[in-house]
Amino acid sequence: MRTVLPADNEHMIETRNLVKAVDTSEGVLTILKGISIHIAAGEAVAIIGASGSGKSTLLGLMAGLDGSSSGEILLDGYELSELDEEQRAILRGQLVGFVFQSFQLLPSLTALENVMLPIELKGDAQAREKAVSLLERVGLEERWHHYPNQLSGGEQQRVAIARAFATKARILFADEPTGNLDTATGSKVVDLLFELNREYATTLVLVTHDDRLASRCDRKLQLVAGELVSDESTEEAASA
Amino acid sequence: MNLLRKQLVPEASSKILTDNKPLGNLFNLSMRLLWRDWQGGELRLLFLALVMAVTSVTGIALFTDRLEKALLLESANMLAADRIVSGRGVLPEEVLEEGQARGLRTAEILSFTSMAFTDSGNMLVAAKAVTDGYPLRGDVIIAEEPFVRGRPVQNGPSPGEVWLESRALSALEIEVGDSIFVGEAELIVSQIIIAEPDRSGGSMMDSAGPRLMLHMDDVIATNVVQLGSRVSYRYLFAADEIGELDSFEEWFRAREEWRGRYYIRDIREESEEVREALERAESFLLLGSLFAVLLAGVAIALTAKRYSERHYDYVAILKTFGCTSSQISFIYLSIQIALAAIAVVVGWLLGWLVHWVILIFLESLLLISLPEPSIQPYVVGAMTAFICLLSFALPPLLALRETPPLRVLRKDMSQQKIGANVPYVFGILGTIFLVFWYSQDFVLTSVLVISVGAIALFLSIVSYLFLRSSGSAGMKAGSAWLLAMTAARRRRKQNVLQVMVFSITIMSLLILTLLRTDLIEEWQAQLPENTPNHFMMNITQNQIEGIESFFVENGIQGNQFYPLISARVTRVNGDLPDPGDEDQVTASRGTLTENAQLDDEIENLELEGVEIDSEIAEAVSGPQTDAPPVNGEEATTGGRRVRGQLSRRQVTWAEDLPSENLITEGAWWGSESQPGYVSIEQEYAEWLDLKLGDSLEFEVNQQIVSAEVSSFRSVRWDNMQPNFFIIFSPGTIDHIGATFLSTALMEREQKILLNDLIRLFPTMVIIEIDGLIEQIQTIIAQVTSAIELISILVLLSGALVLLACVNASLDERFHENAILRTLGAGKKLILTSLLIEFASIGFVAGLIATIGAEASVYYLQEEIFEQEFSLHYWVWIAGPLLGMLIIAGLGVNSTRKVVNISPLNVLRGVI
Ligand SMILES: Nc1ncnc2c1ncn2[C@@H]1O[C@H](COP(=O)(O)OP(=O)(O)OP(=O)(O)O)[C@@H](O)[C@H]1O
Ligand SMILES: [Mg+2]
Repeated sequence: MRTVLPADNEHMIETRNLVKAVDTSEGVLTILKGISIHIAAGEAVAIIGASGSGKSTLLGLMAGLDGSSSGEILLDGYELSELDEEQRAILRGQLVGFVFQSFQLLPSLTALENVMLPIELKGDAQAREKAVSLLERVGLEERWHHYPNQLSGGEQQRVAIARAFATKARILFADEPTGNLDTATGSKVVDLLFELNREYATTLVLVTHDDRLASRCDRKLQLVAGELVSDESTEEAASA
Repeated sequence: MNLLRKQLVPEASSKILTDNKPLGNLFNLSMRLLWRDWQGGELRLLFLALVMAVTSVTGIALFTDRLEKALLLESANMLAADRIVSGRGVLPEEVLEEGQARGLRTAEILSFTSMAFTDSGNMLVAAKAVTDGYPLRGDVIIAEEPFVRGRPVQNGPSPGEVWLESRALSALEIEVGDSIFVGEAELIVSQIIIAEPDRSGGSMMDSAGPRLMLHMDDVIATNVVQLGSRVSYRYLFAADEIGELDSFEEWFRAREEWRGRYYIRDIREESEEVREALERAESFLLLGSLFAVLLAGVAIALTAKRYSERHYDYVAILKTFGCTSSQISFIYLSIQIALAAIAVVVGWLLGWLVHWVILIFLESLLLISLPEPSIQPYVVGAMTAFICLLSFALPPLLALRETPPLRVLRKDMSQQKIGANVPYVFGILGTIFLVFWYSQDFVLTSVLVISVGAIALFLSIVSYLFLRSSGSAGMKAGSAWLLAMTAARRRRKQNVLQVMVFSITIMSLLILTLLRTDLIEEWQAQLPENTPNHFMMNITQNQIEGIESFFVENGIQGNQFYPLISARVTRVNGDLPDPGDEDQVTASRGTLTENAQLDDEIENLELEGVEIDSEIAEAVSGPQTDAPPVNGEEATTGGRRVRGQLSRRQVTWAEDLPSENLITEGAWWGSESQPGYVSIEQEYAEWLDLKLGDSLEFEVNQQIVSAEVSSFRSVRWDNMQPNFFIIFSPGTIDHIGATFLSTALMEREQKILLNDLIRLFPTMVIIEIDGLIEQIQTIIAQVTSAIELISILVLLSGALVLLACVNASLDERFHENAILRTLGAGKKLILTSLLIEFASIGFVAGLIATIGAEASVYYLQEEIFEQEFSLHYWVWIAGPLLGMLIIAGLGVNSTRKVVNISPLNVLRGVI
């Protein structure tokens, strides 16, 4: 039986002893050294750590963008290592949304078209209406016909957030969403992200080295040189 | 949620694809990407390259398709038929019957010389009796009045009528409607004959006087042609299917007993000039279109590569949204097919336009209406686009499907699995297929593939070594020169590729230019505007002065008078001559049969009582003399061969070296000439194995003369001028007595003067080759224009490649120079450094291209065009210089944006 039904349905994401090693010219480099974490549905989790500690690598593995060396990843109950890239793509299309540090909008599509893209790919006839309402939601209804290079970084990231929620993804992966933005713009974008996250009841995995941003999540996972050194609830979560 | 889980059972995954992402949506996305990329200019070069490929191929194919048909028709007109059977005496009826049985159209011609009488005079005419079918090809041009343009008809005179050439009417003092006696028959002159298609294809007898054309049925009544009288018979055959003609020819050639007696010919054997012009033009056009396709292919490869590189990010993003690899393939395949389809349609239109423009341009030259083109050229054009796309563009685009989605997180991730070389392998295979498909010629394919491959290899080694030359590869931003050199070295790999592409492009253009220039030059030299078009023979010494003053009075351009006498080599250094392998000589020239026939016809003239030296014709038979004679025709008649007896040659003596003769060995005697020397044509000398200083013995008019070989000469046999194998120094054979030969250029309106000339010098024989020369010049002019146009098309493809190649390196330059400028480098510094970098690349490419082009042209001229190769000195300067100027110009022009755009925009990714 290939489809593994999760024993505990609360866990949207689960990794067990996850290892990622790559071959380099200087030999095998182990980036992740056995990570085991559980993330419950609707939870917002921050992954923090120094540059090069393996945060992006972990995020990429959990999102099914890459294959692990050993260990298991369960995403909404699916064992990723049992799926090939094609199946992982289908799973991503139905389950996952992304927000990236470098926005990753398609430069040849307008803001509106960028948001419409994933909706259309799902075959949704109402792509346009849904995209317009999302752009309104992120406050860019005036700029829908602009191309990415005509938008500021903060605006681009808001378009990216609208796009991430466009397909009602149940898990949202964000890799340093404010990394390319100044503090003020960054916090506006983050506000928006959390607002929408609550609205859509999404599971959020957020990579950052901004402590303030991390504190707004329910939990903080800290990586040091590819190892999980701490997994603690934030004060906000505790106080909530 | 559970529903989703069920769907994800792998076996059902394909169902999910269609369920969730309808192909229609993907297609819409493809078209939107296509449209956006188009608007953003991303696809313009790729599209242009595709359009260029289709345009050049369709245009060239349409043009050659129609022109080839037209040229073949036009040339067939020179025979008035597709195939001609001729020979000694009466031809076997069986040949005609067989042709008719095979469904060929047929006609008969009987040529003879005769006197035409009227009350007021008589005149020797070249009579030609034709049957109803004549002419099978081309038109007879007739008129009611003399010396006008006339109108075309496709028939000869009816029984009881004759058609006469303009000047014969004034000579005989008659008009249209009067009657005339040909032998014993009285016939009505019903039309004036202005031109006949096969005037030039005729025999000596057809040039011996003005034309009189009559119907075959009247020949018996003339009583001129009787059993045993020597006349020239021809059977004409034509068909619309080349295959039918070929099988008929095969049937004819299979008859052993006819060999040496009857001959079958087509236009290619008829005129060396036309055959050569056609074959060379075909090779050139083929080569041109091969280069056009090759260049378009390279342009497609370059632009597609750049396009796909720019799309890695797209694919990575699409994959994070759940697009599978096969969907990615679908998207890019749709884009390419849509693009190609549009390009094919646009290319067809442009190709049609191109060929139409050529045709308009050629209209004045084309005397006949062109046959409709077949559908083939369009098929060829479309096929080219798709094959180019499949082999050059699709591999890099399909490689996109392998883009790892992780690229959204890590920029350096790109697909490495397939390997960067796969596209090249496909491209090379595609090119080989296209070249072969085009040329249908295994040898040409392998030659082209191997030579281009060798050149590519050579180029990569040489340019790699050149650019590797010492120095670090840091960014020395001190001076423009240093900046340029370090930049060139830093991008070594791309630069080697660029130099290679530039070299191959420039080389292709140089090859075509050189071939074109040489071909056209040779053709023009062969038959320049003022080529004498009338031969006068059988002139006596004391007539020369009178003829010369006649020319001066009437403004006719006359030429040198050559004494003419027939001679035979009887001894070489006291021994019987021992000629080399005759087969080899005749095989390389292939005109022996015509010589035999010609001699035969001249004999006829003698028997008819025409006062013409039986062998003067040899020197004027133009290209037909171009074979050294084999053991005399006299000797071979009836299969007997007398060893050691060479055939007679027309010889002359001269103080000055005739024009277009070149001394290859020894020295010409010049003005202080001594009697007793002889100059021999080099192939004839080789054939007889002669050396300078050999003593030869000749039999001239039953007298024995000996002379020492003092020089060897090369002779242009194709210039339609008097040419001689053997020339004596003045005083050697002068005493034996000769007649003289000369040539003159007479315009159409001067031709009536021929009457006076003949009246003044009745023994003189005039051979009119103006029609022939005009026809050849027309064909060559057409072919020349075709060649020019193809060169321009290839030039355009080449420019496109250069542009594509420069653009391919733009992205990186943008970033690099944006960084340099943020670091404080001035615009001027960067621009100068770019200029130097491109100029050096251009110079190297131009130099390599020149070497490659000269080598290729040498090979092509030796193997295919059969031309003499000589180094083109100007190219050695022009090649590198032009390479430098063009690449620097193109490069700086395209990269000006690099410096003019604000570095911030570059870094923000606006570009
Ligand atoms: N495919 C790979 N090949 C070689 N090294 C890799 C590869 N992927 C990741 N690494 C290395 O693994 C380490 C962790 O990378 P990762 O991108 O996960 O770090 P990060 O925590 O996201 O850092 P940052 O905060 O700077 O984004 C880095 O040292 C990186 O160079
Ligand atoms: Mg990172």
